[in-house]
Amino acid sequence: MGGFGHYLASHLVTMRKEFWFLFVGGVANGFLYGMVAVGYTLVYGVLRLINFAHSEIFMSGGFAGYFVMKALIGTSSPNGFATVYLIIIGIVAGGVVGAVVATLLERVAYRPLRKRNAPKLAYLISAIGASYFLFNMAGKEFGRYSISVPQPYINHTVFTIFGAPVQLYYIVILIAGVIMLLGLDRVVATTKLGRSIRAVAQDAETASLMGVNIDRTIALTFIVGGALGGAAGFLFGLGTGVVYTMGFTPALKAFTAAVLGGIGNLRGAMIGGLLLGVAESLSVVFVQAAYIDVVAFGILVAVLLFRPTGILGERLGRAA
Amino acid sequence: MKLRLNKTVAAVASSALLLMAVPAVGIASASGAASKPTYTIGYEGPLSGGNQQLGLNMVFAVQLAINQANKTGKLPFKLQLKTYDDQGDPTISPTQAQSAVHNKSLVAMVGPAFSGATAAAEPYFKAAHLATVSPSATRVSLATSGWNNFFRVVADDGVQGPADANYMVRKLGKTSVYVVNDGTAYGSGVASAFAAQATADHATVSTATVPGTTQCQNGTASATQYSAAATQAVASGAKALFYGGYYCDLGLFLGALKSAGFSGAIMSDDGSLSPALIQGTTPASAANGVYLTCACASSTNKSFNLQYQALAHFSAANATYAPEAYDAANAIINAMKSLKKITRVAIVNALHKLSYKGMTKVIKFQKNGNIAGSAIYVNQVKNGKIVQLGLE
Repeated sequence: MGGFGHYLASHLVTMRKEFWFLFVGGVANGFLYGMVAVGYTLVYGVLRLINFAHSEIFMSGGFAGYFVMKALIGTSSPNGFATVYLIIIGIVAGGVVGAVVATLLERVAYRPLRKRNAPKLAYLISAIGASYFLFNMAGKEFGRYSISVPQPYINHTVFTIFGAPVQLYYIVILIAGVIMLLGLDRVVATTKLGRSIRAVAQDAETASLMGVNIDRTIALTFIVGGALGGAAGFLFGLGTGVVYTMGFTPALKAFTAAVLGGIGNLRGAMIGGLLLGVAESLSVVFVQAAYIDVVAFGILVAVLLFRPTGILGERLGRAA
Repeated sequence: MKLRLNKTVAAVASSALLLMAVPAVGIASASGAASKPTYTIGYEGPLSGGNQQLGLNMVFAVQLAINQANKTGKLPFKLQLKTYDDQGDPTISPTQAQSAVHNKSLVAMVGPAFSGATAAAEPYFKAAHLATVSPSATRVSLATSGWNNFFRVVADDGVQGPADANYMVRKLGKTSVYVVNDGTAYGSGVASAFAAQATADHATVSTATVPGTTQCQNGTASATQYSAAATQAVASGAKALFYGGYYCDLGLFLGALKSAGFSGAIMSDDGSLSPALIQGTTPASAANGVYLTCACASSTNKSFNLQYQALAHFSAANATYAPEAYDAANAIINAMKSLKKITRVAIVNALHKLSYKGMTKVIKFQKNGNIAGSAIYVNQVKNGKIVQLGLE
């Protein structure tokens, strides 16, 4: 243990710059995972099902952002105030399209099953089918190659931490992530919609007896989760480009984050996302980049062994 | 839509070819009766099926070379083209080879185009002592199977990695290289060949595997790995980076390398040689300066490009292996020129002695039929466009 501790310490000292660079990147990824993870957790809360088509909501948001950026930016290179305004537009575009796709999914793939009291397995197949339908359609319509998104900023280094550059892209994600996740937390905790969501999550039948419109609440839950997922898709696409399969891995990671934090638990999803993002990024300090996914899923298994309900536990129907 | 367009182009192109071939044969036999004998040069490659475009790229170049040779009027013979469509398929190739062998006027063959098809057909060509000059078959073992009649004007798969390493270390003077592969058989093959030669050239080499991502349908890893991988590349302190893999993942990696502040030279293989590399790099400027190498040449010869366009009705700029097919046909024609009496065996022997300055490179064959000398082209991304610099 001491030997390893020493190795760890010396490694951290020699790689301090890399450490902080990876840490910042990990936090940014963590916020993206968190924004997608809340979509899984919200839907699980109200429907007790995993929306496996959430990855395609993410992808739709990415493409929406791409088309808006392409139309507004073209070949120019905006900066200053235009940057702020373009990023807000991109996030809104991603969010709106994400919400629309989520609504369509709920209407087409889930509601008919719910009305007929279909078994859970049917939802799962329906979700996977919808996912394949959506990403293959995107591949057909938009091409099966990666497309880089016109940049609404010049991605310069804003400041450094111990010599590690912190770039504008990461700062954009941090600010957007904090605002959206805090906002969502407040909405669920304090508004009437939030109360309905929590009520349906706790006991759907009783909630409906109390006058909560279940259909409407479920639809709104999809809209909220879809908006965050779509916005995250835009932010992700800004850094790595958009392609029809872009949703697969990030959404799988986000689902992992949601389970890690405790599925159905909103703050759990956010914490799970951050933890996963930072852990997988920092794993590179010790092993090669190729092991990132091994570390990420290793952490998941390890946590679930000791806390089968996740870090914060399944606290369904509560504010947090 | 794209597919339909291609098919239309292909249909128009092949009918154009037919129209051209028919009068060519007519004229040849008419004037042949007067004085000159007529010989047939064959082309075997995919002229239908999924790889049709590649075959068309080559066959128009062969036709152009033959037309030009006939037009000079200086040759003591007339040439005509006969095509053999193997669809690139090793199961179809032997029947086409047998049919070619039985054509008495056929003296040599450009092709076969694909390695598998070549391996299947070559025993028949060998038995008939028929020279075959492939513009595009790159499988290493083709040259070591004891086929005296086999030639190719393109470098084989084993050449690229070491040639790239020599260019990076000796020409560009990079003494430390970070060698990355994408975990595919192709990418890791090129990367390990590169690493071995760079080490032999006394460069400091460190290697890493950064597997292909779901973002690129080229693996199961996540695109988020690239910022971490780029950090490691920077931390290694290497002056240069070589990437063995394909354009899509390289594009993601280039963006991350720029963000991480990597300032060394970057080089990759022909898997990355595509305009889609620039399209998929965020920001696109991160692709500038990247070296991309290929055994294939892109034609920069204006007169060739004009005549090719006029014949094929599509541009030579994107016609992969057209310049090589042109050189292969001209190699055969030049071997024939040197002969008093033209027979299949005599052409094989003449090709072994040939030294001819082709469009892509000097066409001079090693004993095993491989092209001699450097045959890898290096390109560089400049202002968002891929520019051919020349041979390595």
